[in-house]
Amino acid sequence: MAETKKIILKGRKVIGGKAEGEALVSMEPLMGWLNVNPQLGCTTERNHPLCGVSFKDKILVFPTPRGSGGFVSYGMTVNYNTNPAAFLYTKGNNLTIFASLVAQIPTVTDFDQDPLEVIETGDYVKVDGDRGIVEVIKRAV
Amino acid sequence: MYLTDEEKRILDGEKGEIAQRSMQFLVEYGEAAGAERLIDLDGTVDLHPLADWVPKYAVTLDEIKELVKKGERFKVPTFANKPVAPGFLIDGWEKCGLPKNSDPEYRRKNMEALQPLIDMGMIPIFSCNYYLVSSFLPTVGQHCAWVESSAIPWANAILGARTNFDGCFHTAYLGKVPAYDMHLDENRRATVLVKCETELKSDIDYDLFGWAVGEAVNLEVPAIVGIGKPTTSQLVKMNSALNTGGQVRMYHIPGLTPEAPTVEAAFQGNYQRELSITRADLRRVYDKLNYATKVEVDFVYLGCPHYNIYEVYQAAKLLEGKKCKSLLWIMTNPSSYQVAERMGLRKIIEDAGAVLLSGSCPGALLETPPMRVMATDSAKQNYYLTGMFYPEKLDVWYGSMEECINAAITGKWSGDWR
Repeated sequence: MAETKKIILKGRKVIGGKAEGEALVSMEPLMGWLNVNPQLGCTTERNHPLCGVSFKDKILVFPTPRGSGGFVSYGMTVNYNTNPAAFLYTKGNNLTIFASLVAQIPTVTDFDQDPLEVIETGDYVKVDGDRGIVEVIKRAV
Repeated sequence: MYLTDEEKRILDGEKGEIAQRSMQFLVEYGEAAGAERLIDLDGTVDLHPLADWVPKYAVTLDEIKELVKKGERFKVPTFANKPVAPGFLIDGWEKCGLPKNSDPEYRRKNMEALQPLIDMGMIPIFSCNYYLVSSFLPTVGQHCAWVESSAIPWANAILGARTNFDGCFHTAYLGKVPAYDMHLDENRRATVLVKCETELKSDIDYDLFGWAVGEAVNLEVPAIVGIGKPTTSQLVKMNSALNTGGQVRMYHIPGLTPEAPTVEAAFQGNYQRELSITRADLRRVYDKLNYATKVEVDFVYLGCPHYNIYEVYQAAKLLEGKKCKSLLWIMTNPSSYQVAERMGLRKIIEDAGAVLLSGSCPGALLETPPMRVMATDSAKQNYYLTGMFYPEKLDVWYGSMEECINAAITGKWSGDWR
């Protein structure tokens, strides 16, 4: 039987609430405005490893935002039911905050260790936004 | 988050429902940001008219009209960036050839919708580089609430004012923002020394350099050395690219920007690392921005950020006596459009078969002329427009103003950069 490994990350609450699901990890920063398509629920940034990959219902993990204030369109995905289940990011600013305020999905940042070094795409992740606690169940190897 | 007694009264609704809703927005935003308190703005607000960050706190046009009737005004000098909700053209719209944007009724309706904001005191500059033409700017240390990629580093780095990316109705109406990030001394210190190890010669060199630095440092605050004495056009391009290739909202150029007379003053003991940008780094960005194979160009776009009056002049001189084979748009800010008219530049541009427009851009209009292959001298517009076309592919060439205008005249791309 495959072994599972559990890791706990502690961070700061941005938006409360609970969510769980499969992680989708972007090792590159995410860019908004015309480079995210809320109807399709994916980044449309050319050259981006996740260009065209749906983030609907995923725990979306990324290092930072970059670019325009149109990053808020990641939050507009709720209008099309294509939104991620939660946002986890290493470091943000008001662009990530506005996206989360619009989507009202659990969001945690400023972790005790870099989530990109712990979480991989396909891991199962449980997010407790209010307590800022993220439980990572590693994909069975 | 700590609130003063007056702020608590606003939150409790004593100053009316709109003030209450605006305060609810600031409190939810401030708490999500980890801010300890609000700060009173003593600088300016720059906002995208009618664009609300968070729909549940939106203030409607009818509500704004009611406030105007009661004699209410914005608390601080408030300037309109380009309209984005929706985007529309301020000047030249009759000649744009786009079905929606050349419709007089569409133009009239959208302009009319902004009147209540103007009645509140919003100054209708309508430009992404409003800071070049607003005739009123914040001074060093003043707290502001601005928007727009190139404008944020202009406020923080060039002017030494303090802003996050949060200009909107609510911040202008209450004259307050959460006190965090760029408002606090400790977050404005440089952490990374960026050495430019190639001579930046042309305007697009600064665009490429800005992108390369943005990708390398993202949210960090760099202290940049070795970039010579950039012109206004070059600084605007660099800022736009710094905040597109990355998220650089603050930087220092020791000896040039107001908070860093020296390298030591830029870091204030906070030095963490350094990196070099070489010609090879610029080449890598240039190759990334040339995302095209077909040499026949359908559409040439100049003016992201909006061309300043000198750029309009330079473009007009290149076009004088020529005829364009491909469609060429030159976008400026509405203020410079008037000067271009007075100088006869609009006529020179139009005699060459090109179009002078103001107040928007293809990305903000969400409407472009029919095209498969485009050329532009803007890293920002270049990189976002392909996202708008997804899943269709847009071929996009990148090069200097001269190369772009040459492409419009000949109908073919022949740019090369070294």
